[in-house]
Amino acid sequence: MPGSELVGMPHKGGYRAHFEDDYDAYEDYDYDSGDDYGDELFERDKTLQELGKDKNAVARQEEAFIVWRCPICTYDNEDSLTACEMCGVLRNPLVNPSSRSHSSGDNVSTERERSAPVESKLPAKVADRRSGVTEDDSLVISGKKTFVASNIGRTNSSFSGSGKAKTDVETKSTSANLKKQKAPEKQDKGISNQLNLAVVGHVDSGKSTLSGRLLHLLGRISQKKMHKYAEEAKQHGKGSFAYAWALDESPEERERGITMTVGVAFLKSRKYDVVLLDSPGHRDLVPNMISGATQADAAILVIDGSIGSFEGGMDATRGQTREHAQLIRSFGVDQIIVVVNKMDVVGYSEERYDTIKQKLGTFLRSCGYKDSSVTYIPASAMENQNLIEKPSDAKLSWYEGPSILEAIDSIQLPARDYSKPMLMPICDVIKLESQNQISACGKLENGAIRAGDKVLVLPSKERAKVHSLLRDSHPCNVARAGDNVTILLQGIEENHVTAGGVICHPDFPVKISSCLELKILVFDIPTPILIGSQMEFHIHHAKTAARVSKIVSVLDPKTGKVTKKSPRCLLSKQNAIIEVILDKTVCVEEYSKCRALGRVFLRASGRTIAMGIVTHVTESEW
Amino acid sequence: MKIVHRNLMPDGSGSVKMTPEEADDLWLAYNLIAQGDMVSCSTVRKVMREAASGGRDSERVKLQLQIKVEGIEYDKEGSALRIRGKNMLKNEHVTVGAFHTLEIELHRPFVLKKELWDSVALDELNQASDPKASADLAVLLMQEGLAHLFLVGKSVTTTRSRVEASIPRKHGPAVAGYDKALNKFFNNVMQAFLKHIDFSIVRCAVIASPGFTKDQFHGHLLLEAERKQLRPIIENKSRIVLVPTTSGYKHCLREVLEAPNVMNIIKDTKAAKEVQALKNFFSILSKDPSRACYGPKHVDVAHEQLAIDTLLLTDELFRSGDVATRQKYVNLVESVKASKGEAYIMSSMHVSGEQLAQLTGVAAILRFPLPELEDLEM
Repeated sequence: MPGSELVGMPHKGGYRAHFEDDYDAYEDYDYDSGDDYGDELFERDKTLQELGKDKNAVARQEEAFIVWRCPICTYDNEDSLTACEMCGVLRNPLVNPSSRSHSSGDNVSTERERSAPVESKLPAKVADRRSGVTEDDSLVISGKKTFVASNIGRTNSSFSGSGKAKTDVETKSTSANLKKQKAPEKQDKGISNQLNLAVVGHVDSGKSTLSGRLLHLLGRISQKKMHKYAEEAKQHGKGSFAYAWALDESPEERERGITMTVGVAFLKSRKYDVVLLDSPGHRDLVPNMISGATQADAAILVIDGSIGSFEGGMDATRGQTREHAQLIRSFGVDQIIVVVNKMDVVGYSEERYDTIKQKLGTFLRSCGYKDSSVTYIPASAMENQNLIEKPSDAKLSWYEGPSILEAIDSIQLPARDYSKPMLMPICDVIKLESQNQISACGKLENGAIRAGDKVLVLPSKERAKVHSLLRDSHPCNVARAGDNVTILLQGIEENHVTAGGVICHPDFPVKISSCLELKILVFDIPTPILIGSQMEFHIHHAKTAARVSKIVSVLDPKTGKVTKKSPRCLLSKQNAIIEVILDKTVCVEEYSKCRALGRVFLRASGRTIAMGIVTHVTESEW
Repeated sequence: MKIVHRNLMPDGSGSVKMTPEEADDLWLAYNLIAQGDMVSCSTVRKVMREAASGGRDSERVKLQLQIKVEGIEYDKEGSALRIRGKNMLKNEHVTVGAFHTLEIELHRPFVLKKELWDSVALDELNQASDPKASADLAVLLMQEGLAHLFLVGKSVTTTRSRVEASIPRKHGPAVAGYDKALNKFFNNVMQAFLKHIDFSIVRCAVIASPGFTKDQFHGHLLLEAERKQLRPIIENKSRIVLVPTTSGYKHCLREVLEAPNVMNIIKDTKAAKEVQALKNFFSILSKDPSRACYGPKHVDVAHEQLAIDTLLLTDELFRSGDVATRQKYVNLVESVKASKGEAYIMSSMHVSGEQLAQLTGVAAILRFPLPELEDLEM
């Protein structure tokens, strides 16, 4: 099968080794120490293992050895060369072709054209399988990992849609690199400013209504449509759900008056393009909420402020406020906006707001949220108070802080991994009957992708080509890490693309396995975890049944050292290392290599029992 | 299982002639037959004969063979039992010492001769001949995009069917796609439902799922039944029970059996008792960990101190080829019973048995706490 090897291009042996080196060096490269559980678990590992390679040393080493990467064959040439050693492509194609120095042992393909007057993509006459590279040298430029500190000059010659060839010798910042590339396109303003915001909270707290209202106020829903929703809702006897219907579109959801799967909506705040992920609040639907919230960068926790409801939400067994807050924190989200909704029901009482703020504050602190990253806002979605502007109602005048929209603007975007190879976990698969195309939606975790790129779809291990990209229903040319996009794929069958799979760069496939070693933090559980315990395993958008095959050790929560080997069972609040065997294989990477694919959740009996990171992938399929 | 003839000697040996009537009985036979026993049954064998001209002719001959058991195989999917062994009786077609594979079939009597019929084996035999109605429950465990159909029998739970579909999210243009995919999924599940559930055998059908999927499916089922005039469903509408669970994966079958309305129906059957016993074990393990233990070593130690109140075992332990192990466990069971404790031998084909098997296969609830077990290695 053509796609089965990783690097099939005929090349010098040295090339391959070089490539591997890159990868290893890159592994030791900095991991942003975000503040999530995963990191706490991971950081301790790092110090304990004592990686031994000082990351500064690596960077310094790389600085001394300046290379530029050939856009065609991705070989790293020394700075002094003006043409690629491997394939002979010019470094600066605008230069007169006759001045080209030489093309060395070209055992790739003799038909490879000079890239001299390059307007369009370099011709695909390259005989090797990675001919995709010619069209997607944009992928090379944007998607491939780069040395952090090295200067890499690239020929940005073949660039879809631009035609202008540029040579940029960039210094450290890779995002700046992309910015330069983008300028000729005149499309995006540079660094992606898409913010993924998850809306979570206990059932019936007003999440969908709040989201619907925001969309309406910011003009994303026309007056006519809103009117239509209101009419229909009233007809069904659910007049108060009018705004929620903007998010809950399926007849099932409207009939029951709940959200069942995550509703995705786009809106623009002053600073960001916000993607709202309206999650279900129902107990039974937490798996759906996990799948949706996996994409979140920040969250809005909606609380029902009326008497009794807040207490109900905080209930340990039946309340979702707790579970959602814990889950969101485990996703690495540290910035959270707490909206105390339905304030109109309690007459905008400041006391009620303060009680709630205090109780919630203690809880959130225990989850690991810093007080500075939590913003509390009293509001009323029904009455439109404090949503996008300062409250008009006199009773709310005691409140001095920002409105919800302003709070959204004050969120800081997390760091995005543009430099790593392209990776996108598939959230949803849509098949349009009209064309023979499959669309995969999801949030791009690493790297960037363009129309025309060749990609690898896992776990079916099939290759496909990107026909086009859609962001917020508008086609766009390029999508970068952090963007929520829909990728239209060509050349692949429907049953090869599944939700829970991964789309990645063909040369950097993700491991597929069903046997993993995890480091977990156990939440409050009623029954202990034993060997053989069966539970549901959630990782990015995939879920499957799993059982514990071995409990390796229990760790001390503070130091991370092993306190007991092979314990009989695991109790609440313990840190442990366990091995699990899954029913189905999933795409997974160790947490240290890729966060999005290394975070797991274990659920059983309707509650989340543990959260963990993948420390070792045993028996990967490649 | 119909016991036709019983001939047991006071020293423990003897032979029993029995006729299996349903799949469960094959499982029982699988548990009873051990290496070294003699099984005789009528079977078919291909026999080579030399014709007068010198050419060889093969013929399928029906004969009665008695073989000494060397290996036993139970086929879960096909519910068949195959026994391999050496021929013992002198026979015109088959020489003594030749290997043959017997297939135990339903409604065909066979004779089992054992050197030693121990108490566990006798117990099982008695249970099998009990004409009590079997549990027979059909369970459809589903969640959006995944459905399993199980048939819970007296001692065996079989997976009859598994339906999987990919259902997209519902937003924007894909709303129609969601409905269509869901309908297709429900239709597939319904077909499996109709094919495998025979209401004359099954006591009731349970539809279980987290969330609202079960209600959706139930509605769909009834609607289609009305539309296509499917008599089995319409007549047995009242025998369909809806149960909420926390997920659609196989291990939630346990929750289904624990649900109160299902428990009422199956409470006098073996499956229910097993589920209850295991549930007790887990609750004690969480409330008072030193009063419960699992693993052969721990249970041995507990037994020495006569601390065992309830003993839980899987029948796999009795099936090991090693006579000594079997003997050991039989002794364990007998002594627990002698000290007024209870012993449950769980079928490893049931959900509870499976779970116990994952926990090493043997567990015990103790009369008094034994904290020193914590330090003992497993």
